[in-house]
Amino acid sequence: MSALRAIWDIVVRECRRMVARPLYLCCMLVAPAVCCLFFTTLMGEGLPKDMPVGVVDEDNTATTREILRNMDAFSQVRLTERYASVSEARRAMQEGKIYAFYYIPEGTTDEVMANRQPVVSFYTNNSLLIAGSLIYRDLRTMSVLANASVGLKTLQAKGVDEHRAMAFLQPVVVDTHALSNPWLNYSVYLNNTILPGILMILIFMMTVFAIGVEIKDGTGKAWLAMADNSMWKALVGKLLPHAAVFFLTVVAHYTYLYGVLHFPCHCGIGPLLLQAAMTVLASQGLGVFFIAVIPTLRLALSACSLWGVVSFSISGFSFPVMAMHPALQMLSNLFPLRHYFLIYVGQTLDGNPLSYVWKSYMALLLFALLPWLVLGRLRKVMLNFDYIP
Amino acid sequence: MLHEAISDTFFIWRKEAGRTVRDQGALIFFILVPLFYPLLYAFIYTEETVREVPAVVVDDANTAMSREFVRRVDATPDVKVVGRTSNMEEAKERMRRAEVYGVIRIPEDFSRTVNRGEQAHVSLYCDMSGLLYYKALLLACTEVSLEMNAELQVERLGSTTVREGEVATAPLRYQDVALFNPTNGFASFLIPAVLMLVLQQTLLLGVGMMNGTARERGTFHTQLISGQGRGTVRLVLGKALCYFMVYALVGIWVLAVVPRLFHLVQIPQATDLLAFMVPYLLACIFFAMTCSILVFQRETCMPIFVFMSLPMLFISGISWPGVAVPPFWEYVSWLLPSTFGINGFVRINTMGALLEDVAFEYVGLWVQAVVYFLTACATYYYLINESRKKSETLN
Repeated sequence: MSALRAIWDIVVRECRRMVARPLYLCCMLVAPAVCCLFFTTLMGEGLPKDMPVGVVDEDNTATTREILRNMDAFSQVRLTERYASVSEARRAMQEGKIYAFYYIPEGTTDEVMANRQPVVSFYTNNSLLIAGSLIYRDLRTMSVLANASVGLKTLQAKGVDEHRAMAFLQPVVVDTHALSNPWLNYSVYLNNTILPGILMILIFMMTVFAIGVEIKDGTGKAWLAMADNSMWKALVGKLLPHAAVFFLTVVAHYTYLYGVLHFPCHCGIGPLLLQAAMTVLASQGLGVFFIAVIPTLRLALSACSLWGVVSFSISGFSFPVMAMHPALQMLSNLFPLRHYFLIYVGQTLDGNPLSYVWKSYMALLLFALLPWLVLGRLRKVMLNFDYIP
Repeated sequence: MLHEAISDTFFIWRKEAGRTVRDQGALIFFILVPLFYPLLYAFIYTEETVREVPAVVVDDANTAMSREFVRRVDATPDVKVVGRTSNMEEAKERMRRAEVYGVIRIPEDFSRTVNRGEQAHVSLYCDMSGLLYYKALLLACTEVSLEMNAELQVERLGSTTVREGEVATAPLRYQDVALFNPTNGFASFLIPAVLMLVLQQTLLLGVGMMNGTARERGTFHTQLISGQGRGTVRLVLGKALCYFMVYALVGIWVLAVVPRLFHLVQIPQATDLLAFMVPYLLACIFFAMTCSILVFQRETCMPIFVFMSLPMLFISGISWPGVAVPPFWEYVSWLLPSTFGINGFVRINTMGALLEDVAFEYVGLWVQAVVYFLTACATYYYLINESRKKSETLN
């Protein structure tokens, strides 16, 4: 009974401390909310459309204009500007006005007439990879369709019906099924990992801050005394209010993403709540571990920053872990976001049962249990440690 | 008077340099992070592209033609066929276990349909956990189907020559030229933006930490020359000079040496790049000095600034195309030096643009530098007064 009483007293003490500092309010509620709104509205379009594309038509005949009309009709890009020469178009690209341009060389019309199959070139700016790939994909589809449409007209003129003509033009067709995200929505693809990643950074930091500031201000002894010098009771009491607030923040995120924006979610509420709880506990566990191992608030926070920011790259949601150096593939396991990402893909996106992602849950559980390893050290630090600013 | 102002500024510059060198925390941000963080990043993305994405085949037809299709997909650099299964359930199971990222299914009537002169459909199922997997699979299968289509057409036009057959079905050929990043590499795309952002973020953190320390201890006003009265502008200029000196060196490492080490695309006009970096560093320095008003304590710079790196990267319009950024966020992005800096740097460094091509960004940075200089003076004026009051109440 007295244990519960002690923990409760610490909970009350921590709540008072949280209210007293605006930093907690900012990092636990304001920052997550702002980030959530920012990213979802920034990518509100889902898949960028109407990217400006230029044209260099050196031939400028009725035929080339027809070709351009065809391209415009079949693609999702917007033919905005005409340029007199390739160097002018390249200049416009360097100025950031267009993302790509078509180039129709002089003499194209004559070659079409002479059945010499001229080449129309398409220059994409791949230093902007997403825009470049989207436009490239568009070009592939467009060139097939535009050519097919020309071929179709020729064949129809010869009296072949459309069905047979298409079968002649494209005997083998690839039907692509983008499972779980058929709209290729970038917002779905990125935000489901970016937002939890940002939350994880904030949880690491707030956990480290709440404990580290006790060391810095020399209030650690008093805190420990309230828990009858039991480190685990002191920690539970301190981190319980944090856990509650962050759990609600994650749940609010989920509600917004899956309930309001209707991102694909193929698991029930139960798995989502489990994900939310494990995210918070694993991050807190890692936070406690950092501050216990590096009992200087500033250095522990630096370690959190490094861990938090690197996890975006190494978790594999943008650039696959599969393609990284083997050493990095191993290293990626040390980042909670990596496991979160695997759970998200397995459960939420693909709707697989728990048995496919239990390993990742075990990993998060290990992170949550990390403080257990360092309880003794943390206690020693609280009792006698001279703070180095 | 002017002479005195200049010598005061240099005196503060020297003092600040001393403070920086003695402050282990600030040194981490000013030196250690810019030194090693870009290396780590470049290492993560060093492979540039995804090759040999594992896929499984469900070949219900099992004819010469279907086997040919599979063989050609396997031969592409993007996809690797790691197995064949007899039914879809098994293939899906392997996808669930993340052993493969795609399933290619060839229907039972594949060859018969084609031979009858009808359209045969090959189904490609992609795991959408990573868009690069999807891209690799889609590209490989489409290329192979186009290739086979062309061959089939030529075959069917038996009576005419090969050339004629080709021309009849495709009067035009299309060619794709990838400019500025010919290998389509991930590193060449993301790293330049990250490098510029590292400069801004480490300044925010370092300056924030040093000011937070002075603020916490109530020693901010003691950094003034006379200890009282005017001198805010001199203080701001002297400190800025110190940071500029450090970042001139750090900048060369981050922007010139690191890209070279990892063989990233690097085709800048050196003088244009240098001319562009001056307003960028100044804007970043004064921006960091202004933002330090948010930092009340030595350590709180981290919780405040670190998580903002990601929104700042996305708002710049490099990874998420600039035209798709909603107007509201575009205006917000103009408040950040990183937006102009990243765009300008990517164009100058990766796309070989000249200074006049990035005039908008260049002017934007100068405007920011001037505006943030004024706000930095206001901030420091406020901080001096605050710390004076604090020390009075302490004594």
